[in-house]
Amino acid sequence: MQWIASGFLFVRGYSLIHRMDPRIRLFLAATLFIVGLLSQSVVELSVLIALCFVISLVAQIAKRFSKSLVFVGGLSFVVFLISVFLSHQSVTAGIINGLRLFEVIQATSIFFLTTTPDELEQVMRWFRLPIDFIMVFVIAVRFVPVLLMDAIQIMDAQRSRGLEFEKGSLIQRLKNTIPLLVPLIAVAVTRSLDLAEAMDARAYGALRRPSSMYVLAMRASDYASLLCFALGGALGLYIAFFLKLF
Amino acid sequence: MSQESRVGPNEIITIGGLSYRYYGSAQLVLKNIDLRVSAGEIIVVAGKSGSGKSTLLRAINGLIPHQHSGDYSGSVIVDGLEVSSTKMSELATKVGYIFQNPENQIFMFSVERDIGFGLENLGVPRREIRERVDWAMETLGIKHLALRAPHELSDGQKQRVAIAGVIAMRPKILILDEPTSLLDPFTAKGLVKVVRDLHDSLGITVLIVEHRLDLVAQIADRIIVIDEGKVIYAGPPREVLYNSETSLYGVTEPTIVRLAKLLPFGKEALPISSDELGRQIRDRIKEKGRVSPA
Amino acid sequence: MDSSNKMSTLERGSSKHPNDETIISFENVDYSHPNGTAALKHVSLSVSRGELVAILGTNGAGKSTLVRHINALLKPTHGRVAVFGTDTKETTSATLSRKVGIVFQNANNQLFSDSVRSEIQFGLKNFGFSQALIDERTRWALDTFGLQQYADRPPMELSGGEKKRLCNALVLAWEPEILILDEPTVGQDSEQKEKLIEMIRTLQNQSRTVIVVTHDVEFIWPLQPRTVLMTAGKIIADGSAAEVFGSVEKMKEASVLLPQLVELFNSMRIAQYPANVFQAADQISQLAIGGT
Ligand SMILES: Nc1ncnc2c1ncn2[C@@H]1O[C@H](COP(=O)(O)OP(=O)(O)OP(=O)(O)O)[C@@H](O)[C@H]1O
Ligand SMILES: Nc1ncnc2c1ncn2[C@@H]1O[C@H](COP(=O)(O)OP(=O)(O)OP(=O)(O)O)[C@@H](O)[C@H]1O
Ligand SMILES: [Mg+2]
Ligand SMILES: [Mg+2]
Repeated sequence: MQWIASGFLFVRGYSLIHRMDPRIRLFLAATLFIVGLLSQSVVELSVLIALCFVISLVAQIAKRFSKSLVFVGGLSFVVFLISVFLSHQSVTAGIINGLRLFEVIQATSIFFLTTTPDELEQVMRWFRLPIDFIMVFVIAVRFVPVLLMDAIQIMDAQRSRGLEFEKGSLIQRLKNTIPLLVPLIAVAVTRSLDLAEAMDARAYGALRRPSSMYVLAMRASDYASLLCFALGGALGLYIAFFLKLF
Repeated sequence: MSQESRVGPNEIITIGGLSYRYYGSAQLVLKNIDLRVSAGEIIVVAGKSGSGKSTLLRAINGLIPHQHSGDYSGSVIVDGLEVSSTKMSELATKVGYIFQNPENQIFMFSVERDIGFGLENLGVPRREIRERVDWAMETLGIKHLALRAPHELSDGQKQRVAIAGVIAMRPKILILDEPTSLLDPFTAKGLVKVVRDLHDSLGITVLIVEHRLDLVAQIADRIIVIDEGKVIYAGPPREVLYNSETSLYGVTEPTIVRLAKLLPFGKEALPISSDELGRQIRDRIKEKGRVSPA
Repeated sequence: MDSSNKMSTLERGSSKHPNDETIISFENVDYSHPNGTAALKHVSLSVSRGELVAILGTNGAGKSTLVRHINALLKPTHGRVAVFGTDTKETTSATLSRKVGIVFQNANNQLFSDSVRSEIQFGLKNFGFSQALIDERTRWALDTFGLQQYADRPPMELSGGEKKRLCNALVLAWEPEILILDEPTVGQDSEQKEKLIEMIRTLQNQSRTVIVVTHDVEFIWPLQPRTVLMTAGKIIADGSAAEVFGSVEKMKEASVLLPQLVELFNSMRIAQYPANVFQAADQISQLAIGGT
C-alpha cells in the first residue's frame, strides 16, 4: 500500500534544482513549456525533451519522472494516431503533436516534482493571489497526504482484523476495497472538522495579513540562472519562429 | 440562562454554573461546574476516563461551544472575555491548547513549518518566528526532524511536534490534554520541567490533564478531581493524594504515595517523590540505630 | 559480580522460557520506511510461547515498527521474521492476525466502524465465528471493558481513554495466541490499569504470549516482564526486569526513567528491588522498625 502513497507524496530533495528560488524554477518550467508549445520542429522538440531528461537527472527525480513516462508516452502516441488518422494531418505533423504533448507534460512535472507545497504557497503569495484562494488551495493540497495515510491506516486496521486485501483475483481484491471506502469517507469528514479545530486553536484568522516564516529571496546564483534561462528561452523562440528546422 | 459570576481580582479563568451536553447524546457531560483559576496557577485535572476532563478544557479554549454544537449553559470567562461570544481566533491568542490526539493537530508539510503556523497567524515578525521555532524544537529534542513531513514520524515524535507548536506561541494560558501519554519517560520529565520554566519566567497559567500524577504532582498548585462531570475535589496535591476518597475517583496515586500509605510511619510529611520518602526512611533507620544499637 | 560480564548477558538476550518453543523470531532484520528512514537495524529477537515481553525506549526508537512486523503489516527490507515457524513474507496479515492480535498505539488509527458493537464484531466476522459465538464474545468484551453503555455510539465520539479501551477489547475478543499491546495504558485511569494487569496475568496463566510496548514504567514494573530496551532502531538490552532496570547506563541510553521503587531502593543503596509496594513496605518495615 505504501507504494501508492510514495507516488503521490512530495519527496524533499536537495539537488541544485531544489535549491533554486522556486520562482526561477517556475520560470524554467514555463520557458520549456512555451517554447515547446510554439515549436514546429521535430529536432527542436527532441532537443527540448532531452533537456528535460537532463534536468530531471540533475534534480535527482529521474526515477519518479520516468515512472510517469509510460503513461505520458502512451498518451502522446494516441495523439499521434488521432492527428494522422482522424484529422488527416501529415505524419510529420502527427509526430510533432505527439512530441509536443510529451514535452509540455515533462516541463510541468519538473516544476511540480521539485517544488514543496510550502514553496508553491509562497509563489502564489508573491503573485498576490487572493489570500482565501491560496488557503483553499493549500488546505486541499495538505489533505492529500493526510487522507492517503488515513486510507493506509484503515487498511492496516482491517488487515490486522482478518480482512484479506492481498490474496485472490483482481476482481476479488477490488471488491475487498469496498469496506475501506465507507469508513474512509466518514474519516475524511471527521478529519476536516479536526483540521478546522486545530487551525482555530492556533489563531488562524486572527489577523487579516499573517506574517510568514519563509521569504522568497533571490541569490546571485538565482539571477545567473534567470539570465541563462531567459537567453535559452529567447534562442528557443528564435529557432521556433525563424529557423526552418526539420 | 445567564448566570453572572463576578470575576475576582487576579482571576484569569472564571467558570460559573457550566453545564454541557454533546449534540445527540443523552447525558450531561458537565454538570453545573464552578471553577476559579488565578493567574499563574498550575492546575492538574484528574479523574476517571470519560469523566469530562477534555470536555472541560474544550469549554475553556472555546472549541465548545464554537466547534461542537450541543446544549450549553452557564458562563466561562477567560482573561476578561466571555468565551461563548468571543471568536475562536481571538481566544487562541490567549489560550494555547494541546490536543489529546497529536495527529489531529499537526497538518503542515514540514515539522518546522507546523511549529511556525501559530506564530504566523499571530503576525510575529519572521526573525522572531525563526528564533522561537528553533527554541521549541531544541526544547523538545526534535531539531533533527525539522524538515520531515509530520506523517512520517513516530507517535511520540508527533506529540512532541504538537507540543512545540503551542509552546512556541507563549500563550498566557497553556492547556495540555494528556501531553505525556506518548512521550518516553525522559522526554516526559523534560516537558514537565519546560512547563515549570515557562510558568516561572513568563507567569503563565497552566491546566494539565494527566493520569501519570507521579510526574506532575510535584509542580501542581492544585489538583482538581472530576467525576461524572462534577468537580469532586480541589486542593493542594499532597492533600488530594493522601485523601483516602480521591483514589476512588480513578486518580492514579503515584507508587510512592501508595507505599507511604502502607508504611507504619512517615505519613505526616505526605511525601510525593522518592527523594522525600527516601530521606524519611533513612532518618528512621538512623533513629532506630540510636535507640537500640544492633 | 563483574559488571562487564553482566552487560554481555544483557546484550545477548538471556531469559529463555523454560519449555522453550520459539514462536516469534527476528533474524537480523532491517527495515527502512519509504522515505528512507532506517527504522530497524540488524534486529534479532526471539520470543517463546507464554512469555511476557516489555519493549521500552526512546521516541522514534522503532518499537512500533518492530511489532508491526509480527503480524506482517510490515515486512523486513532485509533479514527474516518468522511467526509460528512461517516466514511473514509467505503469508498475509489477514491470515496471521487470527493468531496475532495487535492494538495500535494511536486508538484513532484502529477504529473505523459506525458503532462500538460493530467495531468489536468486525474481526469476529472475518474470522468466521458462528453467530452465537460472535454474540457471546461481543457481550464479553463490552462487559469486561465497561463499554456496555456505549455499544451503539460511534467510536469517534468516545473520550480518548474510552477509545483505547475499545481497542484493547476488540482484539481480546477473538482470543489471539499472541497479543501485542502498543501503549495499552494511554488515557487509562487507575481502575482500568488494574484491570489490564489482571487481564495480562490471566493470559499468562493460559500460556499466551504477550508483548507490551510502553513508556509507563510504573505500570510495567510490577509485572516483572522480560524487558527489551531499544534506541535508534537497535535493541540495546534484553533480560529480566531486574537486570535491565538495574543497568543505569542502558536505561539512560534508551531514555527510560527508573520506576519510583527502584529509584527509592537505589537511594537506600539496596540492590534487591521489590516488585510491588507490598514487598517494598515489608522490606522497609524490617529495616526501619526491626524484625518485629
Ligand atoms: N510512516 C513513516 N514514514 C517514514 N518514517 C517513519 C514513519 N513512521 C515512523 N517513521 C520513523 O521511523 C522511526 C521509528 O518509528 P516508530 O514509530 O517505530 O518509533 P517508536 O519506537 O514506536 O516511537 P514512539 O515511542 O514515539 O511511538 C522513527 O525515526 C520515525 O520517525
Ligand atoms: N464529540 C463527542 N460527541 C459525543 N459525546 C462525546 C464526545 N466527546 C466525548 N463524548 C463523551 O463525553 C464524555 C466525557 O468525555 P471527555 O472526552 O471529556 O472525557 P475525559 O475525561 O477527557 O476522558 P479520557 O481521560 O478518557 O480522555 C464521555 O462519556 C464521552 O463518551
Ligand atoms: Mg480526554
Ligand atoms: Mg510507537
